[in-house]
Amino acid sequence: MRYDSITDAIGDTPLVRIDPAVHGLRNIDLYAKLEMLNPFGSVKDRAAWNMARPGLAEARRSGATVVELSSGNTAKALAAIAGMHGLPFRSVTNRMRVPEIKDLLLLLGAHIEELPGRTECLDPTLTDDPLTLIHQELSAPDSAHLHTDQYFNPRNADAHAAGTGPEIVADLGGRAPEYFVACVGTAGSSTGVARVLREHDPGTRVVGLVGAKSDFIPGIRTIDEVHEVGLFDPGVYDTIEDVSAEDAVEGMLTLVRRCGILAGPTGGAAYFGAVRHLREVDATLTGRATAVFIVCDRCESYLSYVRRLRPDLFHRPPEANSVASLTEEEVLAAPALDVAEARGWIAKERPLVVDLRSPFAYAALHIEGSVNIVDELFDEMLRGGLPFSTRQPVLLACPVGEQSARYAALLTRMGHTDARSLAGGIIAWRDAGAPLVRD
Amino acid sequence: MDEAPLYLRPRLEPPLAPLLDSSDLLHTLVDALGSPLDVLLPDRIAANAERFADVRRAHRLGGREFFAHKANRSSALVRHLAATRAGVDVASLDELRHALGAGFTGDRIVASGPKGPEFLWLAALVGATVHIDGPTELDTLAGIVRDHRLAPVRVLVRLSGFTSPGVAIRSRESRFGVPAAALDGLLDDLERHRDAIDPVGTAYHLDTVSLDEKAVALEGCLHAMNTLRARGFQPRIVDVGGGFGTGYVEHRDEWDRYTTELTRAVLGERPPLTWGGHGYGLRAEGGTVRGSLGLYPAHRPDAGPAYLDALLSRTAPTLGRPLGGLLLENLYDLYVEPGRALLDQCGLTLARVLETRTTRAGEPVLRLAAKATDIGLEDHGVLVDPLLLDRGGSGPADPADAKEPAGVFLTGSLCLESDLITRRRVFLPRTPCPGDLLAFANTAGYCMDFAATHAQRQPPARKVAIGGGPGRWRWTLDEEYWPVPRPEGRSA
Repeated sequence: MRYDSITDAIGDTPLVRIDPAVHGLRNIDLYAKLEMLNPFGSVKDRAAWNMARPGLAEARRSGATVVELSSGNTAKALAAIAGMHGLPFRSVTNRMRVPEIKDLLLLLGAHIEELPGRTECLDPTLTDDPLTLIHQELSAPDSAHLHTDQYFNPRNADAHAAGTGPEIVADLGGRAPEYFVACVGTAGSSTGVARVLREHDPGTRVVGLVGAKSDFIPGIRTIDEVHEVGLFDPGVYDTIEDVSAEDAVEGMLTLVRRCGILAGPTGGAAYFGAVRHLREVDATLTGRATAVFIVCDRCESYLSYVRRLRPDLFHRPPEANSVASLTEEEVLAAPALDVAEARGWIAKERPLVVDLRSPFAYAALHIEGSVNIVDELFDEMLRGGLPFSTRQPVLLACPVGEQSARYAALLTRMGHTDARSLAGGIIAWRDAGAPLVRD
Repeated sequence: MDEAPLYLRPRLEPPLAPLLDSSDLLHTLVDALGSPLDVLLPDRIAANAERFADVRRAHRLGGREFFAHKANRSSALVRHLAATRAGVDVASLDELRHALGAGFTGDRIVASGPKGPEFLWLAALVGATVHIDGPTELDTLAGIVRDHRLAPVRVLVRLSGFTSPGVAIRSRESRFGVPAAALDGLLDDLERHRDAIDPVGTAYHLDTVSLDEKAVALEGCLHAMNTLRARGFQPRIVDVGGGFGTGYVEHRDEWDRYTTELTRAVLGERPPLTWGGHGYGLRAEGGTVRGSLGLYPAHRPDAGPAYLDALLSRTAPTLGRPLGGLLLENLYDLYVEPGRALLDQCGLTLARVLETRTTRAGEPVLRLAAKATDIGLEDHGVLVDPLLLDRGGSGPADPADAKEPAGVFLTGSLCLESDLITRRRVFLPRTPCPGDLLAFANTAGYCMDFAATHAQRQPPARKVAIGGGPGRWRWTLDEEYWPVPRPEGRSA
């Protein structure tokens, strides 16, 4: 398929049936609307393009900056769109909690600002929310901004009423599904799609999913936060249910591992919430029904998020030559010298002194003549083997003598004959009044 | 509509929890010493300091924990801490005199905040460490040291306005401290004052709950330490402050439910929870909530020592290693200033119920023998329920077996419309009667005397210190407390 612009590739995403053997529903056909296959990677591509498009010509003329409050996919899409049109893009957010997304936005050339956290000593006069502050900034007299305003801009939901909704109906042979399940972020996709589906069939039931209150799921708001969203209208939803971060990852794993759909946690939340809701319905059904949920984006950007919640998923076997594999006895048996002995040994044998601290700390103060190999690098080197002869005397130094003892033990196990640890570390060295230098 | 009582039950740990079970003692104390009455638990502050020290030592760091005296004017707390390894942070001449009188020596005192010449002079004379707030203060201090031929005074350079790489993290402007970007200028001043000033380290006190901002600040201090070293100084202390948080409310669901209902009330979806529909910073605009919740996040799973641990375990934004490890390998000591977190569970405020009445609008109102300024929880945005203590009862009435819970507004004893101890309907297990006591738990950090006034010649609460345990409680007036046992005479 040939396009003149990448933005032409937005929309017309596939509707994929989930294998009943996976979801276990007997009377319901469950479909995933794969919004993750939009060109910038998410459901937000539609809204971003629809909101930005009318203002782009004027923005180019006046040299305006595109501005949005977004911590994720909307910012990503807008950054790409702004870049295509030679405009700067700025995102202000207090919700940027996924490091990969931060880096991706920087790569796309976005300027990001994070808002401060809540104050510890309450100042009751500070009640202005980020939105108000940003709105004040944007309405300042000499500001040239194209503010897409995703939480309040009706063009957000319109993009889905014109695209996502009709596509679902067309793919289902001109029928609206009996159930539609969507996570509520800006409420744009759920509101827009629900509008179209209900025009076709007023009986369509809409399930809105929000995050459990003290949990964080990227792209989903909690029940309190949705009230801050201008597009949010509780009347759109037949029911609002909450999902936890664990549920979201659980759903995501099913999509990723069993369905070949590389969805992110938001899509996982939608799948989990859909199956949980439909399971009860399924038991009461006699005829067949159809349900659709939205897969917002892909999983790759959320690896660190998932790792934090489920470290077990990233389990790797222990490495060879790793300090983690040492026994307590091996560490205790590692040769160690106190400061006075170490100074004597250095004067007499001139061992290689390896300082395992970071270059930052080493540069500030170190033992004269020592070389700096930071622990993580040393660790890496040892996995491949010894970086010096087994007969070269080595004195290892770290802050308090714990790490150096471990590495001395590891070197000994690897066949080194004269690796010793500086007991008490550089701190003991300093406290004993032994000289430390900086270059 | 959800009209079930919305409790915000306080988190109670020993010795506060067992003390509240001794309601006879508490009634007797208020009978004798009047309402309101502040009760302090000095043993607990020492235990808290030790918990912070445990975290610091687990990261292998030397240093000290400091009590921010401004959080409570109690003598018992200061004297009790003087007998431990902890230090004290004083913010006025009188606090410094108080700390010295309690037995603190200069090496365990840091002086912070805006300072006058008398305060600077006494701090320098006794060898306290001075938080330097800017170049003018530095010049004044150096002048005092020279004029009085004092030994060089130890200072910590208090920094603010840190910048971060990559994503710009905005921080609230602080009125205090030297902007990190202006450090070079201050270093020129420090070089001029080498004879009078010994810069021993750097400090930040950032008023935010955000760990990200604090990580940026702590790393900023590390870079500043490096700059100091490059200029030939020998700094060795990094002082971290700005509050590590206190969990006031025990149950997360209660806190979650309350704040959700508050949002619904602001939107008009349920009857108001507050006096005059007060929204605690939230307001409704066209069906949407605007503003931000001006409340202390009262349920804090990661508060106090756990917060310090999280900060020290966090990876530094540019140096890419855990902050605790960086402090250690650079051979720095850590001064920990936990703010109110050090006073967690260290006291309570008691107030006598004087009258119950119903307003014309049908709102039940409970008048207490205390001013709103005597019970500072609400003023600090802390929403947590008081406990109802019957005379002769065996402990606070438990909402779990409440037969007729009552939602009441608590008003103070001033002839002033705004003297509201809570602007919200507080749910109690039953309607109190005159003479009952309400116990406001966990008020020792900033919520006892920080804002208490003498308005209308109504004095602030008196203070007592209590030690011991169930069946052997020992109390004294706060000013009579010293951390040594007194002869008790023969028991029958």
